[in-house]
Amino acid sequence: MSTLIELEAISKIYKKRGGKEKVAAVTDLSFEIARGEIVGLLGPNGAGKTTTIKMICGLIRPDEGHVFVNSFDIVRERQKALRSISAVLEGNRNLYWRMTVQENLEYFAGNRGHSARSVRSEINRLIEQFRLESKRHELVNNLSRGMQQKLAIAVAMLAGTEAVLLDEPTLGLDVETGYEVRELLRAIAQEGRTVIISTHDMPVVQDLCERTVIISSGRVLVDDRVSSLMKLFETKAYSVSLAKPLSQMQVTRLKATFAVLSFADDYKSFTVTLEHDEAIYTLMDILRLERTPVEALDRTSIHFEQVFRQLVNGQVKNHQMRESNHVLA
Amino acid sequence: MYLLNVVGANLRKVAIEMRRYLPNTISMIVTIYAIFLMFFLGIKFIGNPSSAEANTQYMIVTTVMWFLTLMAMQGIGWEITTEATRGTLEQLYMSPVPAWFILFARMLATILLNLVVYAVILLLIMATSSQWLRFDLLTLLPLFFISILGMIGVGFMVAGLALIFKQIQAFLQIAQFIFLAMVAVPIGLSPYLELVPVVRASSMIREAMTSGVSLFDFGANAWLLLSLNAFVYFSLGLLIYKWAETRAMNLGLLGQY
Repeated sequence: MSTLIELEAISKIYKKRGGKEKVAAVTDLSFEIARGEIVGLLGPNGAGKTTTIKMICGLIRPDEGHVFVNSFDIVRERQKALRSISAVLEGNRNLYWRMTVQENLEYFAGNRGHSARSVRSEINRLIEQFRLESKRHELVNNLSRGMQQKLAIAVAMLAGTEAVLLDEPTLGLDVETGYEVRELLRAIAQEGRTVIISTHDMPVVQDLCERTVIISSGRVLVDDRVSSLMKLFETKAYSVSLAKPLSQMQVTRLKATFAVLSFADDYKSFTVTLEHDEAIYTLMDILRLERTPVEALDRTSIHFEQVFRQLVNGQVKNHQMRESNHVLA
Repeated sequence: MYLLNVVGANLRKVAIEMRRYLPNTISMIVTIYAIFLMFFLGIKFIGNPSSAEANTQYMIVTTVMWFLTLMAMQGIGWEITTEATRGTLEQLYMSPVPAWFILFARMLATILLNLVVYAVILLLIMATSSQWLRFDLLTLLPLFFISILGMIGVGFMVAGLALIFKQIQAFLQIAQFIFLAMVAVPIGLSPYLELVPVVRASSMIREAMTSGVSLFDFGANAWLLLSLNAFVYFSLGLLIYKWAETRAMNLGLLGQY
């Protein structure tokens, strides 16, 4: 697959308002996104995700490095680059609330140089696909948040670009609408478009994304396939049930020795990630210290959220990832 | 052709919003009419009766020109502020059509549609004052077109400020009185006024509407100075706006409000 988006050693430093203090939002960030890929851009709050997204969209200029979209430099050849990318950046705030669903679609298409007539059939198709038929002539102001979110995505789809960038597409949606939006995103991905999703909604990543780029403190922390990360953690995650609670000393030793996923409130069970099979003997040694009887020890299934938390919290050692041939930048 | 589609889309949007915000449109008509009445009654009861007719005509054109100037010069700045507050500004910047052109199209659409509203107000004013102005479209159309270009240029300068500083409402409130002075002062007062935007345009429109000066009566020199002024301010406005846009992108301020 050829590269559609390329970030080449980009950095961005902000000067804090009213002071001389500077904050590095993004530092020497590099990664590529191939045509047709579905990538989850993740990171804790303040990691530099929004800055990265806006630099990809050409809304913020990097201090150093380059962003190429379809081989066009987003700074120097902005207008050409923007023919290949559209975005939903602020969800329902990306719309004109005193215009109807159809009027919004027509207006944004018009601003890309399309006549209302030339996009009419595509608008009809999108309205049908996004189940907005009954709201076609409704003011955006009167729509539910979920409907507004769907319309914002439809506007981005109408641009007909190769890549669609979605910032928090399920934020603030109820479970049902969130699921509906997720299904729409799946349909978009199946159309063969390149989709970049920035989100805190881990089930969305686990469910939709092929690959994830995790950013922390402005740098790429992990760049890998979601399935590989899941597999890596899944095969090494164990749940341990005990007959009596762990002592404080045991908890401390476990934390120092393993990438512990979580303890139960009563400290009578916990899940743990073992780096290699022999580590189970070390685990048993810690439990034996206080003669803590083990009631059950099982391989456990893992959610991507747990993987993410471990990666971001630095509970996975670099060598652990490298030994598994995973990129840990 | 695709640029025409951008203009068409913005024309439809402005028309839709004028209809949806009908109370705003009505309140604008009432405000302009009320301000005119204030000036008119002032001239009638306080001013010199011998020059009342000329003064009233002068004032009618000046009032309408003032509001046109306000709309063109402040309009893009307001649009930027409103779009940033709504969260739609960044979407405009995601278009492969340059944002300045979309805003230019928006402004052109706003002015064109408001000119229709102003024509209605002008009729009302003329009926109230019994002072009927001349409407030589052959003269007025090129005059308005060139004038508006210069006004939009200043509008782009204001918009550039809005992109970086956002909170420009206080500045705009002061600016409206500067704009009033610009449209009211006669161009013959000082040669330096040729350097100020809108002064020549306003004077020529006033002469055409009150004294019936036609397209050819103005002479090549007047047209040249008018066009030069409009061209310089439009170019300068665009340059300043592009500079501000780059700066806002460097500072990460584009969508912030």
